[in-house]
This record gives sequence, structure tokens and C-alpha cells, in this order.
Amino acid sequence: MAFEPKEEQKELKYEELRIYSDEELNNYTDEELKNFKIKHDIPMCDELESGPWPSFVADAKREALHRRKLADGRMMIEREVVEDMLGQLEVSFEHGETHWKHGGIVGVFGYGGGVIGRYSDLQDQFPSIAHFHTMRVNQPASKFYTSDYLRSLCDLWEYRGSGLMNMHGSTGDIIFLGTFTEQLEPIFYELGHVMQQDLGGSGSNLRTPSCCIGKARCEWSCIDTQAMCYELTHFYQDELHRPAFPYKFKFKFDGCPNCCVASIARADMSYIGTWRDNIRIDQEALQAYIGGEILPNAGAHKGKDWGKFDINKEVINLCPTRCMGMEDGKLMIDDKECTRCMHCINVMPRALKPGMDTGFTILFGAKAPILEGAQMSTLTIPFMQSEPPYDNLKENVIEPLWDWWMEEGKNRERLGELIQRQGIQKLLEILGIPPMPQMVKEPRSNPYIFWKAEDVPGGFERSIDDYRTRHAR
Amino acid sequence: MDDIKQAILDFAEKSKKTKFYFNDMEKAVRKVMPDIKARAVKKAATALINEEKLVYFSTGSTTMYGLKGRGQTEDH
Ligand code: HEM
Ligand code: HEM
Ligand code: SF4
Ligand code: SF4
Repeated sequence: MAFEPKEEQKELKYEELRIYSDEELNNYTDEELKNFKIKHDIPMCDELESGPWPSFVADAKREALHRRKLADGRMMIEREVVEDMLGQLEVSFEHGETHWKHGGIVGVFGYGGGVIGRYSDLQDQFPSIAHFHTMRVNQPASKFYTSDYLRSLCDLWEYRGSGLMNMHGSTGDIIFLGTFTEQLEPIFYELGHVMQQDLGGSGSNLRTPSCCIGKARCEWSCIDTQAMCYELTHFYQDELHRPAFPYKFKFKFDGCPNCCVASIARADMSYIGTWRDNIRIDQEALQAYIGGEILPNAGAHKGKDWGKFDINKEVINLCPTRCMGMEDGKLMIDDKECTRCMHCINVMPRALKPGMDTGFTILFGAKAPILEGAQMSTLTIPFMQSEPPYDNLKENVIEPLWDWWMEEGKNRERLGELIQRQGIQKLLEILGIPPMPQMVKEPRSNPYIFWKAEDVPGGFERSIDDYRTRHAR
Repeated sequence: MDDIKQAILDFAEKSKKTKFYFNDMEKAVRKVMPDIKARAVKKAATALINEEKLVYFSTGSTTMYGLKGRGQTEDH
């Protein structure tokens, strides 16, 4: 069963949605900016502007000046919100501790995520950031926007929030930084009913799923990452908005093992596009790489002279499984040994391409916890075909997995920690997957795969007398 | 559904804590109704949220549930 939108996607027109005129949007000169001082003294924040990188302090000052110059009644929260934010930051630098109070009962009606309550604990000193709630806006798949959409979003946030935003949070969301409780519902209404734009996930929810640019732009994509991300985001709306998990849960979709959204490092459930058949080789193009007619890595390293391209040094000897070699001037790959690391394909994209029998690999349990250190996700399902609406995936993988985690997971325990605690074998049992030798990386330190009596022909009970007929004492 | 809702409210009222994890709420319901599925508890909790009897409490990374009006209020 696939998700069916209740209404057609509208084409947003900034001219219809805009709140500010061009004059209001461009309401200060460079000269004014140069001479502008915010109301608080912020020497340490100022210092941050001095380095070689663009600074958020410089951006915030522009926004502060912009708000100074807007007319009364053109902003629904305090004009000085940005100045107070910088003022409090300066105090935090002085004290070496934060002055934000975390958490609370804020949100939009019926949603248990998408809004994160933040309050200043110096409200007398910085009244316009007494409330400074964050809203997470679910980014479009692969973060493709129209400028009409972006400009409409910016106007809305200028009007009803601080105007400060962050593109993008690490789950991918567009982050609106700082507004008052009264503004949450009006913003939610505008986003949902006018812009057809949902909030993202926070708290013990399914977090906003995110995907790489996929088939929209990338020739290496083995799956339609955007289609999967869209379908699973909509299909699991309840999990996204109404928290009942022990902790957060993330889906990320990469079209190939280059892993541009770093699903392997950041998702409880990482989907990585792969192929089952052989790497496609164009021997002629390969000769052109060897002969120097085609630049390796599509010319990405041409800024410096690295010498003549050496296929042995740069590709064959770097293959992590040593499964490739030249025979009679032709490149040969022993594909059953290839781990799909993408290295050879990245270096010589015109000579080598992923195979045609494509699908995805699923890995579980990445997390970056404070106590135990970062953990990558573990390869568990080597190959699944990507077949919309992904019923097989939903019914046989995602839902049994969630049932197990909701049942057995402790409060604030990520899936990866549950797998560590109960063992990968338990996970395999839940998913009904047979163990493979490759899952046991180091038998000394990793969980063993134990056989159960029912898996062994005849079970564990044997007649010792029978054994003794063949092995004398 | 009504009996699950009641079990949740009983737990919430008796609880010494003003906010609690979904997991603990689920365990409390299961004491009264041993065969209940997590999804059914979630549906009932969502209904109570919609009826404004329960509220979500979120730190940003974790979400808890609380009885409306008890403990922390909306303004803090
Ligand atoms: C050509 C002969 C052999 C080879 C190539 C070989 C290779 C290995 C390897 C690769 C391991 C796994 C090491 C690890 O990662 O833990 C191992 C473990 C072991 N081998 Fe051998 N082995 C050979 C002969 C033998 C013989 C003749 C014995 C005993 C009579 C033996 C007893 C063991 C034991 C007890 C272990 C530990 C098993 C475990 O990890 O629980 N091996 N061997
Ligand atoms: C007084 C005599 C012995 C002592 C004190 C002794 C002690 C130990 C200890 C402490 C371990 C490590 C257990 C672990 O941490 O996993 C071990 C492992 C082992 N010992 Fe001995 N051992 C003795 C005799 C023998 C003999 C005679 C053999 C073989 C004929 C043997 C074969 C093994 C093997 C194969 C292991 C690896 C078992 C495993 O880790 O799976 N040991 N022994
Ligand atoms: S992960 Fe692979 S398919 Fe996706 S954008 Fe990166 S290289 Fe392309
Ligand atoms: S993809 Fe990686 S493992 Fe496979 S052949 Fe190329 S270099 Fe070797």
C-alpha cells in the first residue's frame, strides 16, 4: 500500500505569498552595516568575525540591522531578538556555561515532535529571547528547492520568528531558530495549509528521513533514493509525529556506497544502493585513462601535477579486496570478491560503471553517543530489490524491527545499543535472516553465532556409545 | 480503547513523577492488560493527547508524556 497525497502539490508563487516588499527586504546600505553596533557589547562574539571563514556573527548582525529598520508591526516577535541572542551568547562565553533552558511542553497541537522548546534563563536581561523555540521543517527530498519556495519560507520566518535559520540540521531539516510560543500554531498553519510543508521529527520519533541526490543527478545511483525517502516519510507519518519509540530513529538513503548522506555513520537504518551483477567495464575508455586521454576522477585533481596516471598504483593496488588485475592488456575484476567500495569507479567513471541488477543493502545501528563513541552501522541485509511501494521492506524488515526495539529497548537506548546488548544473532532472529560468516569479523571480540539445536541436523543429543564405536578411549 | 486510556490515566495520576517515558506507561498498562500491544497503547496515548488530557514533554532528543496541568506548565 503506497502513500496517496490527499491534495495535489501546488506550485508556490512568491509573488502571491510574499510578506515584504523589495524595499523592506533591502532596507540598509553597506555603509550603515559598517557603522552598525548592536545594543550589547559583544567583544568575544566580534572576535569570531576575524577568522578566514564566514561567520554567523556577521550574518546575525545583518539580520539585527534589517530588523532595526523594519517598520513597527512588520514583525510578530520582538525586533531585538537577534541582538539579545548575541548578547546572551557573549554572557555565556564569559561564564563558560549555557544560558538556554532545555525542553518543555511546547509544540503544535497533536504533534510530539518538530518543535523544540528553548528559553533563556536571563529573561530580565534579554527579554526578547525569553522564548527561543526551534522549529524543524521537513526538507524536500535531496534538498531541491525553488527560489519561490525559499523566499516564501524566509518571509514567513522573518514575520513570525527571529529570521535566523540554519540550512540544514544534521537530520537534513531546515531549522528555524527562535520564536515565541504564540507563534508556533500560526507558523504551523501557514506551512501546512498554505505551503503544503510539514514539520520534521524530533524527540523519540522517527526523524526526518533524508536522501542523497540520487537518480535526479547522479549516474551512480542504484536506487531511486528520492522515491524511497518520500514514500517512507509519508507512510510513517505517525511514527514521525507521535513519539512512542525508546529514543530517536533515523532512516537515510544513499544511492551508492559513496554514501553522500553518510547513512552508514548516522542512521539507525542505513539504505545503500548496490548491485548484484558485475561492474560494467568499457575496455576502450580504460585504455584512454591509461593513455592519459581521459583525466582520472573526472579531472578533480588536476590543480596539481601528480605525474602520469598509473592504473596499478592508483586503482588496482588500492582495491581493498585485491580483486582486480590486468590480463593481456584488459582489466579483469573478480566480482564475487568486490566489496562495492566504489574506488575504481570513482577514479575511472567512463570506463567502469556499477552493474545493472541493482537494489540496496541495509545496515543497522549507527549512532554517535557520548559514552561509547561513534559506531558505524552493521551490514545485515546484503541485497534487497527496490520495488515501490516497498511492502516487503515495510512488513518484513522495518515493522518487526520496530516491534522488537519498542519491546526490548530501554529508555534512551538506540537500536545500535540494543543490538550490542542482545547480540546480532537476536537481530537476525527477529528479521528471520540466516547468519553469514562475513558477519563475524573477529571471533575473539565480536559476538559469536551460536547454533540452536533445531538448526543442527539431529540436534545436540548424540549417542556416546555410537561415537565410541569409532573413537576408542 | 477506553480501558487502555483509563489505565494510562490511572498510572499517570498515581505516578510520583510528573513526566514519564512511553515505555514505562506501556509497562503500567500491561500490568492491567497483559496482552496489550505497544501500538494499541500508542493509539490510546495519542487519543489522550488529542483530548488534551496528556501532554508531550520534549527535550529535543527525547520525548516524555505527562498529565496536563501537573508539574511543569506550558509557559516554562
Ligand atoms: C593448516 C592448518 C590450520 C590453519 C590454517 C588454522 C587457522 C586458524 C584460524 C584462521 C583460526 C581463527 C583465528 C581467530 O581469528 O580467532 C584458528 C583458530 C583455531 N585453531 Fe586453527 N588452524 C589450523 C590448524 C589447527 C589445528 C591442527 C588445531 C588443533 C589441533 C587448531 C586449533 C585451533 C583452535 C582451538 C582455534 C581457536 C578457535 C576459536 O577461535 O574458538 N588449528 N585456526
Ligand atoms: C594447566 C594447563 C592449562 C591452563 C592453566 C590453561 C589455561 C587457559 C586459559 C586461561 C585460556 C584462555 C581462556 C579464554 O580467555 O578464552 C585457555 C584457552 C585455551 N586452551 Fe588452555 N590451559 C591449559 C592447558 C591446555 C591444553 C593442554 C590445551 C590443549 C591440548 C589447551 C588448549 C586451549 C585452547 C584451544 C584454548 C582456546 C579456547 C578458546 O578460547 O576457545 N589448554 N587455556
Ligand atoms: S551516494 Fe552515490 S548515488 Fe548518491 S549522490 Fe553520492 S555518489 Fe551519487
Ligand atoms: S569497487 Fe572497490 S572492491 Fe570492487 S573492484 Fe572496485 S576497487 Fe575493488
